[in-house]
Amino acid sequence: MLDHILSILIFFPALAAMLGFVVHKDSMRSYGVAVATIEFALSLWLWFAFDSTISGMQFMEQIALVPTFGINYIVGVDGISLFIIILASFFTMIGIASLGETKDVKNMIITLLFLQMTMAGVFAALDAIVFYLFWELSLVPMLYIIGAWGGPLRIYASVKFFLYTFAGSLVMLVGMLFMAYFYFQATGQWSFAILDWYRLILPESFQLWLFVAFFLGFAIKVPMFPFHTWLPYAHGQAPTIGSVILAAILLKMGTYAFIRFSLPLFPDASVYFMYPIAVLAIIMIIYTAMVAYAQKDIKQVVAYSSVSHMGVIILGTFALNVEGISGSIFLMIAHGVVSGALFFLVGVIYDRRHTKYMSEFGGLAHVMPRYATIFGLMMMASVGLPLTINFVGEFLSLLGFYKQSHVLTLLAGTAIIVGAIYMLSAYKKMFFGVITKDENRNLPDVNKRELLALIPLAIITVWLGIYPKPVLGTIDTSVEAVVSLMHEKAISKEAKSRIPNIANETDMTKNSVEEAH
Amino acid sequence: MEIGLNHYLVLSTILFAIGLVGVMRRKNLLMLFFATEILLNSVNISFAAISHYYGDLTGQMFAFFVIAIAASEVAVGLGLLIVWHKKHNNIDLDNMSTMRG
Amino acid sequence: MELFLYTALFSPLVGSLFAALFGASPKTKIAGIVPSALLGVSFLSSLVLLVLVMGTGLTLHVEMMTWMATGDLYIPFGFVVDQVSVTMMIVVTLVSTVVHVYAIGYMDHDKGFNRFFSYLSAFVFSMMILVMSDNFAGLFIGWEGVGLCSWLLIGFWYHKESASWAANEAFIMNRIADLGMLIGIFLVYWNTGTLQYKEAFAVMPSLDNAILTWMGIFLFIGAMGKSAQFPLHTWLADAMEGPTPVSALIHAATMVTAGVYLVVRANPLYNLIPHVGLFIASLGAFVALFAASMALVNRDMKRVIAYSTLSQLGYMFAAAGLGAYWVALFHLMAHAFFKALLFLGAGNVMHAMHDELDPFKMGGLSKVMKGTFLMMTIASVALAGIFPLAGFFSKDLILEVAFVEHHYIIYSVLLFTAALTAFYSFRLVALIFHGEERYKLFGIHPHEAYKFMLVAMSPLLLLAIIAGAFKMSYFEMVSKLLPATEYHVHSAATYWIMTIGTQLLVILAIAYAYKKYTSRDIAVPDGTSKMENSFAYKLLINQYYIPYFYQEYIVKAYRELSEVFWTKIDQKVVDATVDGIANVFYQTGERTRVMQSGNLSTMLKWMVAGTVALLSLAVVFGLAARYSGEIRVFLSGLGV
Repeated sequence: MLDHILSILIFFPALAAMLGFVVHKDSMRSYGVAVATIEFALSLWLWFAFDSTISGMQFMEQIALVPTFGINYIVGVDGISLFIIILASFFTMIGIASLGETKDVKNMIITLLFLQMTMAGVFAALDAIVFYLFWELSLVPMLYIIGAWGGPLRIYASVKFFLYTFAGSLVMLVGMLFMAYFYFQATGQWSFAILDWYRLILPESFQLWLFVAFFLGFAIKVPMFPFHTWLPYAHGQAPTIGSVILAAILLKMGTYAFIRFSLPLFPDASVYFMYPIAVLAIIMIIYTAMVAYAQKDIKQVVAYSSVSHMGVIILGTFALNVEGISGSIFLMIAHGVVSGALFFLVGVIYDRRHTKYMSEFGGLAHVMPRYATIFGLMMMASVGLPLTINFVGEFLSLLGFYKQSHVLTLLAGTAIIVGAIYMLSAYKKMFFGVITKDENRNLPDVNKRELLALIPLAIITVWLGIYPKPVLGTIDTSVEAVVSLMHEKAISKEAKSRIPNIANETDMTKNSVEEAH
Repeated sequence: MEIGLNHYLVLSTILFAIGLVGVMRRKNLLMLFFATEILLNSVNISFAAISHYYGDLTGQMFAFFVIAIAASEVAVGLGLLIVWHKKHNNIDLDNMSTMRG
Repeated sequence: MELFLYTALFSPLVGSLFAALFGASPKTKIAGIVPSALLGVSFLSSLVLLVLVMGTGLTLHVEMMTWMATGDLYIPFGFVVDQVSVTMMIVVTLVSTVVHVYAIGYMDHDKGFNRFFSYLSAFVFSMMILVMSDNFAGLFIGWEGVGLCSWLLIGFWYHKESASWAANEAFIMNRIADLGMLIGIFLVYWNTGTLQYKEAFAVMPSLDNAILTWMGIFLFIGAMGKSAQFPLHTWLADAMEGPTPVSALIHAATMVTAGVYLVVRANPLYNLIPHVGLFIASLGAFVALFAASMALVNRDMKRVIAYSTLSQLGYMFAAAGLGAYWVALFHLMAHAFFKALLFLGAGNVMHAMHDELDPFKMGGLSKVMKGTFLMMTIASVALAGIFPLAGFFSKDLILEVAFVEHHYIIYSVLLFTAALTAFYSFRLVALIFHGEERYKLFGIHPHEAYKFMLVAMSPLLLLAIIAGAFKMSYFEMVSKLLPATEYHVHSAATYWIMTIGTQLLVILAIAYAYKKYTSRDIAVPDGTSKMENSFAYKLLINQYYIPYFYQEYIVKAYRELSEVFWTKIDQKVVDATVDGIANVFYQTGERTRVMQSGNLSTMLKWMVAGTVALLSLAVVFGLAARYSGEIRVFLSGLGV
C-alpha cells in the first residue's frame, strides 16, 4: 500500500466524493468527516514513512499515459511538497468537521473532497501535464464554492477568479509545451517529466522567455502585485470554508510552483529576474499592507494581509540560497495555518452577526474572551512574533534575502512594522473599547465545533514556532538539493556567484546534465 | 476550335460563381439547395475535366463521391425542409433565426 | 547548577500558565499568590547563581535544544549565566517579585486580577529569556516577548480608548526599532556566520570597520526602541496608561533597560567602533536633558516619573557609549531599585487619591500616608544622587566617566541634568506630600495602602539606600567579563571639588523645589498664570510638539496614503485595468454578436467573405514566400 500511497491520497477523496452522491443527506456530515480524517491519517502516515535524510523524490509512481509524447502519470513527494500535502488534508479535515450551518451541506462536502483531490494532485505531480491538469481542475471546485455559497457579488467574483487564473495558466501551458519541445530538440525524445527537465540546460535567452511564461501563471495564482485584484473579491464573496482553503492551500500552488519549476529549470533567468521580482514583492508587502489598513471589512483586512505575507514568501524564494528558500517553504506552511485560522475566526463572528464591518463591533473582548484570546494569538502570529510559526519563516526568508540585497531587505523588513499597524488597529477596533452596539452584548463565545478547528491550529502555531525542526529539517534536505542543482546548472557568471555552492552531491545532480542545442 | 481543359475550367468557374451568388442572395431555402447543387456540380465538372486531362481516374472517382454525398445531403435537407414547411408554412431563410446569438 | 538555571528561567512561565488557567474565572487570590511565590523561587535560584558566579568566577552555559537549523544557520535555545546576565537576572527577579506581591494588593479590586498575573509573569519569563540567551536570536525572542507583554499590560484596561491606543503605539514604535535590530542580526549572521555571542564577537575584530559600524548602528536602533531613546521616545510616557505595577516593573526597572543591556552585551563590538559609541553617548546625554526638561512642568505624576526614567536611561547610554559598560550596568541596577520604589509609591498615592494623577490636586499627604511618604522621599533622594544613597554612587560615576574621558560637553549636560533631576523629583514630593491639603477641595478621603504592600516595597527601600556599598565587589565581579576600566579623576582635589560641587548643586535644586512648591498659595493651575502662557512652558508641556508632529504628519499621512492606495490605486488603476482588459473581450463579443444574427443567408455571406479572405491571404503568403528574395532586394532598395 505504501508504494501507491500518493495515488491513494489523490484519488481516495475523489472516489469518496463520487460515493457521496448516494449517501443520505443527514449522514453526509459524518461521512465527510470520516473520509477527510482517513485522508489526513494517510497523509500523516506518508510523513512517518518519509525518509527525511533523502533529498530526492520518494514514493514515486509512474504510469504511461501518452508514451509517444512522453506524457506519464508520475507522482512523487519530497521535503518541499510533503508538508503542503499534509496541510491540505489537514485543512480539508478540520474544514469539514467545523462546517457551520450551510445550505446544501451534501454538495459542499462533495465539492471539498474533490478539491482535496486536486490539491493533493498538484503537489504530488511530477509530470508537467499532470501538474497542469490538477492545477486547472482545482479551479472548478473553488469556482463552485464561491459561485454557489458566496455573498451577493458571488458570480462576478467567481468568474473573475476563474478567468484570471485560467488566463495566466494558459500562458504557463504554452511555456510547458515549449519546454517539452526544447527537451525533444536536445535529446530526441519527448518528455514532460519534471525530473527529466531538471537535467536540461537551456541557453539563457530561452530561459528568460520560458521564465516569463511560467511566471505569469504562477504570479497570478500567488497572487503577486499587480495581479492580485481577484483575491479580495474571491475572499470577500467566498463562504468561510472557501476562504480558508483558498488562503491556506490554493495560493501556495503559485509559490510552490516557483520552487518546483522556475528555480531549478531556469537558474540564470531566476538570477536575471531576481531584482525585478524582489521589487514587486516589496511593493506587495508594503502596498497591500497599507491597503489592508484602509479596509473597513475585517475579512478584507485578512485577505490583503494574506497578499502581503505572500510577498515575503516570494522574497525568500528568490533569495536563491538555502536559508531563504527553506524559510519561504516554511512560511508557506505557517501562512497556511495562520491565515487559514484568521479566516476561520472571521467566519465565527460572521456567523453570529452576519456582518464583517469592524465598525459594527468593538469591545468584543468583554463578551467573547476566548474568541479574543485565540484571535489575539493568531494576530500575533500573523504579525510575526517569535515563538510563533510565522516568525521562523519570515526570519529565514528575510535573512536569506539579506545575502542578495541589503537595501531591499530593509524595505521588505518593514513588513513587520506595517503588518503590526493594520493588525493591531483592526484588533483594537474589534475587541477593545466599550461595547457600543446592543447586538453585541449577548454574543455567545466560540462553541465546541469551532474550537475543533481553532484549537489544533493554535497548537500548531505555537508548537512549530518553538520547535520547527521536524518540519524545517526535512525541508532543508530537499532545498539543499535544489540549490546545488541550480548552482550546477547556472551558466552565467553572475548566477554562479549568486547561487551558493553547496558541496555535497545529491541524487538529483548525479545524473548527467545534458546541454540543449 | 478544340474544346480544351481551359474551357471546362472556365465553365466550372462561371457555374461556381452563379452558385455562390445564389447561395448569398437567395432567400428561399429550396433555391438555396439548387444553388448548392450548382456549386457542387461546378466542382464536379472541373474534377472530371482535370481527371481526363491527366489521365488519372482519381478525380472522376471523387466526382462520384461528391454526387453521392450531394444526393444524400439533398435527401436529408429536403426532408428537413418539408418538416419545416409543415410547421411554419414557409421556407423563407429570414425566418429561420433560432440560432441567433 | 543547571537546575538552578532552569528553575530561575521557567518558574515565571509556570506561574504565568497557572494564572492563565484562571483567566476566564472570577478573581481568586491564588492566581496572584502562586505566581508571586514562583517568582520568589526564581529569585532565590538567581541568587544562588549569583553567589556561584561571584564566588568562583565560573559561568554557566547550557544548550536546551535546537530552535532553527537550515543551511549553515544553526540557532539553539541556549542560555548563559555570566557576570552580566546574572546581574540582570537578580534585578529582574527581585523587582518583579516585589511588584507581584505589591500587585496582589494593588489589583485587589480589579476584575482582571487573574489575567493580570498571567501577563505579568509572562513578561518576567520573556525578560529572563532576553537576558539569559546566549545568542542574538534568543535575545530577539525575549525582545519581542517583552514587547508583546508590554502591549498586553499597557492595554490591560482595554475598555479605555487611550489605553489600547497607547498599547498599539508602544508596540508599533518598538517594531520600527525591531526592524533595525533584525537587520543588525542579519548583518552579524552573514558576516560572522553565527549568531552565538561568543563566536560572533570572536570573529568581529577581523571584520571591515564599515561593516562593524553598520552592525553597531542597526543593533543600537533596536536598543533605541526598547529604551525609548529620541526620536522613538513618545511611547514611554503614553505607556503610563497601564496599571502602576506595570509601570514600575516594565517601564522603569526592566524592559526599558533592555537596550542598555544589549549595548553592554555587545561591548566587544562597540569597543571596536568608538565613533558609534560617542554617538550613543551624545544621544544619551541629549535624551537625559531633553526628558528631564519635559519632567519639569508635567502635571501627571506618573508621566513625570516616566520622563525621569527616560532621562536616567540617557545616563546609562552615555556611560555605555563612552565604554564604561560596567558603570552603565551598575546604574541600571541601582536605578531599577529606586525607580521601581518610586513608581510603587506613586501607585499608593494613586490608590489613595482615587486614580487622580495631578499632583497639584494633592498636597499634604504626608500626614495620612507616612510609610509611602518616607519611601518616596528616600527614592527621590536616591534618584537625585545624594550621598550615601544608591544614586550617588552610580550617577556620580557616570559624571566622572564623562569627565575623565574628556567629553566635557557631555559632562556639563549631565551635570546640569542632575540638578534638573533633583528639582523635578522634589517638586513632585513637595506637591504631593507637603503644603496645603488641596485634595479636600475635591472631596477625596485618602488612606494608606495595605500593610503588606508597604512590606513588599521594603526590600527596594533597603537596596535604594545601600546598593552603593556593593560598588567595589560588583566591579570585581563584572570586570571579569566587561572592560575593567576604573575611572579616577587624576587629582584628588579635582575629585573633591567635583563631588562636593555636584552635591551642593543638587541640594540647592532640592531646596529651591521645596521652597517653590510647599508655599501656601499653590493652586491648581487653570491656564491663566503668566508662566503657563510662556513659550517655554508651552513647548515643554506639549513635549516639544513631537507627539503632535507624529500624529499630524506621520500617522495621518499614513492613514491618508493608505486610503489613496486603496480607493485610488487599487480600485481605480490596478483593478480597473484588469476589468478593462476583460471588457475589451466582452465588448468585442457584444459588438460582433450581430454577425450571429441567426439569419442563414447573412451567415452564408460571412462565410463566403471569410473564405475569400483566407484564400487571398493564402495567395499573398504564397507569393511572398515565392518571391521573398526579390522582395528583400526591393525593400533594401527602398532603404528599409
